[in-house]
Amino acid sequence: MSRALGRGGGTTLPGHVADRIDPGLIAGLARALPNGCVLVTGTNGKTTTTRIMAGAARAAGLEVITNPEGSNRLGVLEVPDSAIGIFEVDEGALPGAIETLSPRLVVITNLFRDQLDRYFEVDFIAHLWQRALSALGPSATVVLNADDPQVAYLGEGIAARVMYFGLEDRQWARAVLEHAADSRRCPHCSHDLVYEMSFYAHLGHYACKECGWRRPDPRFAAWKVQLQGIEGSESQTSTPAGDRTLRLPLPGLYNACNALAAAAASSCLGVDPDLVQVAAQGTVCAFGRFERISVEGKNAVLLLVKNPTGFNESLRLVLAADGLRYLLLGLNSNSPDGRDVSWIWDVEFEACAGRVEYLAVSGQRANDLALRLKYAGVADSRGGPDASALSSPEAEDIVRAFFAAIEQMPERETLYVLASYTALWTLRRELVQRGYLAPFFQQVEGATR
Amino acid sequence: MKLVLGYLYPSVMSQYGDRGNVLTIQKRCQWRGIDVEVDHLEVGDRVDPDRVDLLLVGGGADTHQRLVCEDLLHVKGDGIRRAVEDGAAAFAVCAGYQLWGHYYRTATGDELPGLGVFPAHTVHRAAQTGTRLDTITKAGSVRAVGNLVVRWGTRVLVGFENHGGRTYLDEEARPFGRVLAGSGNNSEDGWEGCVHNNAIGTYMHGPAFPKNPALADHLIKTALTRRYGSVTLDRLDDARETTARQRALHQATARQGRWRRLWSDGVG
Repeated sequence: MSRALGRGGGTTLPGHVADRIDPGLIAGLARALPNGCVLVTGTNGKTTTTRIMAGAARAAGLEVITNPEGSNRLGVLEVPDSAIGIFEVDEGALPGAIETLSPRLVVITNLFRDQLDRYFEVDFIAHLWQRALSALGPSATVVLNADDPQVAYLGEGIAARVMYFGLEDRQWARAVLEHAADSRRCPHCSHDLVYEMSFYAHLGHYACKECGWRRPDPRFAAWKVQLQGIEGSESQTSTPAGDRTLRLPLPGLYNACNALAAAAASSCLGVDPDLVQVAAQGTVCAFGRFERISVEGKNAVLLLVKNPTGFNESLRLVLAADGLRYLLLGLNSNSPDGRDVSWIWDVEFEACAGRVEYLAVSGQRANDLALRLKYAGVADSRGGPDASALSSPEAEDIVRAFFAAIEQMPERETLYVLASYTALWTLRRELVQRGYLAPFFQQVEGATR
Repeated sequence: MKLVLGYLYPSVMSQYGDRGNVLTIQKRCQWRGIDVEVDHLEVGDRVDPDRVDLLLVGGGADTHQRLVCEDLLHVKGDGIRRAVEDGAAAFAVCAGYQLWGHYYRTATGDELPGLGVFPAHTVHRAAQTGTRLDTITKAGSVRAVGNLVVRWGTRVLVGFENHGGRTYLDEEARPFGRVLAGSGNNSEDGWEGCVHNNAIGTYMHGPAFPKNPALADHLIKTALTRRYGSVTLDRLDDARETTARQRALHQATARQGRWRRLWSDGVG
């Protein structure tokens, strides 16, 4: 739909698009899907989880209808007997999607603060989800992250079957909760949760000393996760079907968790775990999830950042990379980015101090970033203490900033671009026009065939 | 010199980057050679009015407000009231502001009693209109969300607001500022926030201090004056802050003729 409007791939806009399509039409089409449909939601990781699931289902011989090519083709599609729908939906769109699509499976990855001006507060989303999930019957299954207290609690007292996934690898435990942690209270009785382990944000192993509610034991557990820098990860997992190794070409602990979510969900669909392994290994990065490109003999990696938790995880990965670190930050405040940019004050930019070779800011809110960096004690490579370098709209242009950075870098070095949604789109569109990148939807369709 | 900052409920009432306010106070004192101690005052911790110079409290979800409401009344209330009556500086944002008023009627119609520091009361928009919360699907329909530009004395402040509550001041109450763009207290009377002694209540997130260093310095100065007598703060290089503030003002008011008029009137 947005592709037809010439506004880019539009692949992560289904939540908005779904609002505008006749619900009756969608409900009719969903009933026509012989293998029913799956909904994937959560603050972070829904795209990656959806992709791995779709890949595994395809490998299992199912005809998968999913977001990239999904929304605008449903109307004319001849539905084969083997069709299944696997859709990513925005957090706020889950109740509506459950009502119209009557899914057989709902996957919830996690719940963080994200664009509060659009989606209210995390508690309100949890409340919306709770109501929506209680409408599911006993034939449906809900796959939940055991490590996220608010998400795990959604499995209490619902008619649907519940399958938990979670992380069991003690080596990734941190001593204290990060500031970006949103949910530190027992969802049952509101008292403080006690964490035996904390992985990132509010995810970890927790228990309530007051009412005794605790993290449910996951049936899908990653008991050893080896991170291989930005190359990816390898997880040893235990599943009801025995132990499996999950290799993923996407970096970070959070992506390993996404793969685990996809494995758990796929098993609920009856997909052979070996096929999930194959699909995970072949995962192509989603928009802005570590897309790698080569420009003028230098490398660039594009990362989408949309909330403090994701931003902190991305920074952690970049700072863990070998060699000199070149960073470009981009922040816009259009509606898809979230108009409120206050969350950048919850990002741990302090970690960059003295550890980056080059750091520049861009986007409509470049000046907010520059100010945040000043208070984090991190020097900005373009502006310096004199702010005049950033006082014009031209100076905020992410495309200019990108090529300025590339120009200054030595050959073979890598520029990491961490940018919000529309800032990244702007840059990507230009990179496509200049021939450095294929249009995103072509890549996706090519990869999923 | 030393400033003791009492940061109220850092884990449950700091949802909108309000930690940036704490960071700004710390840095702006540090740059001037003033020591800062930050006391994290969680649920259960008391406020010692003789120890704290500046109190900060941020925004939180409604569920968190219920949690802190009781603590505020029975554990911290006495210390906060005594500190404010004694002239300590305080900055209460959004949910913090609401709970420092007479009461807050939530979206579900419950009435949370407040501290009464500010002569004001707050009613959630949904409670006002009788809208059922579970029928709401779009944030904008009940919440005041967007850039907030406020005239504060001779200065103009810029921030971001995001609140479901509408606050109404008592007749004798002193507002914090005049709304130039955005909703402020209730989108009706044009007032924003409330002031009592050296305590300021406001809806201004953003966070407020980094882009409005004059406001941060005002609170640092009042806080130190109470303890050390007349204090002069060294001037800092605020070029970065000024640029960020001006760009944010421009973005906040790009489509607002009303603002342009005020700007040309020489306010700023």
